[in-house]
Amino acid sequence: MTNVLRKLPAVLIVEDEPLIRMDAVDMIEDAGFRTYEAASADDAIRLINGHDDIGILFTDIDMPGSMDGLALAAYVRNGWPPVAIMIASGVVEIEASAMPEGAAFIPKPYATSQITKTMQEIAARLD
Amino acid sequence: MSDQLPQPGVEAEASVDISRAVAILAPRGRDAAVAAQLLAKDNIAALPVGDLDQLAAMVGQHVGAVLVTEEALASSDIGALRHAIEAQPKWSDVPFIVLANGALRTRSDRAGQQMDALRNAVLLSRPLHVEELVRSVRSALTARGRQHEARKQLEELELRERQLYESEAKFHAITDSVDHMIWSTLPDGYHDYYNSRWYEFTGVPEGSTDGSAWNGMFHAGDQKKAWALWQHCLTTGETYEVEYRLRHRSGDYRWVLGRARPVRDESGTIVRWYGSCTDIHEIKMAEQQRQLMLGEMNHRVKNTLAMVNVMVSQTLRQADNLRDAQESIQSRIGMMAQAHDRLINAAWSETHISEVVEAALVPHRSGEGRFAITGADLPIGSKQALALTMALHELSTNASKYGALSVQGGTVSIAWAVDGETELFNFTWTESGGPTVTEPTRRGFGSRMIKQALPGYFTGQAELSYDPDGLKFKLQAPLAGLIH
Repeated sequence: MTNVLRKLPAVLIVEDEPLIRMDAVDMIEDAGFRTYEAASADDAIRLINGHDDIGILFTDIDMPGSMDGLALAAYVRNGWPPVAIMIASGVVEIEASAMPEGAAFIPKPYATSQITKTMQEIAARLD
Repeated sequence: MSDQLPQPGVEAEASVDISRAVAILAPRGRDAAVAAQLLAKDNIAALPVGDLDQLAAMVGQHVGAVLVTEEALASSDIGALRHAIEAQPKWSDVPFIVLANGALRTRSDRAGQQMDALRNAVLLSRPLHVEELVRSVRSALTARGRQHEARKQLEELELRERQLYESEAKFHAITDSVDHMIWSTLPDGYHDYYNSRWYEFTGVPEGSTDGSAWNGMFHAGDQKKAWALWQHCLTTGETYEVEYRLRHRSGDYRWVLGRARPVRDESGTIVRWYGSCTDIHEIKMAEQQRQLMLGEMNHRVKNTLAMVNVMVSQTLRQADNLRDAQESIQSRIGMMAQAHDRLINAAWSETHISEVVEAALVPHRSGEGRFAITGADLPIGSKQALALTMALHELSTNASKYGALSVQGGTVSIAWAVDGETELFNFTWTESGGPTVTEPTRRGFGSRMIKQALPGYFTGQAELSYDPDGLKFKLQAPLAGLIH
């Protein structure tokens, strides 16, 4: 069992709204993933640079600071090691061109089952 | 044109058309009667008169022609007759046929002058030749007939001119009275008319936008589009309709709606375009505002739903049974709804801490003075207000079930202030007089929310201590964290 757990990538949750972030952490930890959390793109980048076990980026789009979630995702995509991207947003019409290639789109409010399912698929791919 | 009024001394039959009759002034003997008979044979109506004044009256009524003897002309003062002749309207030139005085060998100067005064006169010698008389009279009456025709045509023209003038006046009255700008062009699009509203709006000199100079009054971003559409409509005759920004006399551009339609002649050819510009700036700005607000609203609603989602999800995690879950969820959502009312009143910008605290405690007030509240009237941002409301809701619900508010005599002390030196904002909730407090084994949503999420909204720190005397909550944050 612990082997399976260690294989699962850690998830970095980026969301500026504290309550929503707290709930997202709960939801993703319930699915068996370890989590890191950040309230802005700057905090997120610091965490990614400091922890190489982060395999999934789960980020909202609207955030304070110099970068929004889409910019953060693009930045992470170009980095190393490879990180899977999940973009969450309350705005339904995001242009396909604005999303980084291969990113999964998660509508807000979150549906737990959809998020866990997507993460498990990603985890399986990363194996 | 028969004259119905009876004249003194004239026995005119009611049915005689005076404009086609001949007045006869030949007082000597049977001259008048004879002449009348001769003319009657040729179906010409005769109107004998007794003197020059009566003749003058006839002239005034546009009699067809006049037959007068030379001696009758000389018989008295010709003044009234001369006056009547001169007073004729422009079209009228009454013909006189003068019967020469056969008794004299030469004509006196005076007689000659009198004849000249008649203006339009022929002289027939006596003894009379029937044919000469009749033909002269006929000729005179024919000429007179043509004068009447000319008069009719002239009056018709004058009527048309008056109607045209009135029509133009009406057009200008209408186009200058309406609130819209009105313009008109030739079939090729050459603008040659603008109403006064156009000049009021644009402030340009009259005539300066004739031709195609109007395009320069449009905003640079709209010029091409409008020009292309105008050219297209000129060719096809379709109704022209386009929104664009027009330069107002103040220098600002305002949104207007331009429209035009062609007017065609009987063969279907376009002879003119008539158009208008309606100022729609206010409407357009309102529409843009509305869209912005709708977008804002959608955003906020989505956010609220996300929060509710968290409430429900977190409650279900920790509830022992569905009934407890329902109660908790409804209580929390109710709290959020109420917090929203306050935020709307403050236009979603900011409110005051005292208001937030008072509102959160309303469901728990029993009139027994269990709450002691002290703190300055500090402003607080909308997100922070909502978070604080949620925290207070959790604290008071918990106090009612298990803490100081669950027993008689228990009290809650709420206080907040800004430390003058550190510029730190401190908020405390202290319970006392309740049952002995023990740390719960399981962390409920309330404590999690307060310890983990709440500080984030204020970029500060929160503490929850399960002091045996009473639960204590403390929030500390930089003053800037209250509003951002």
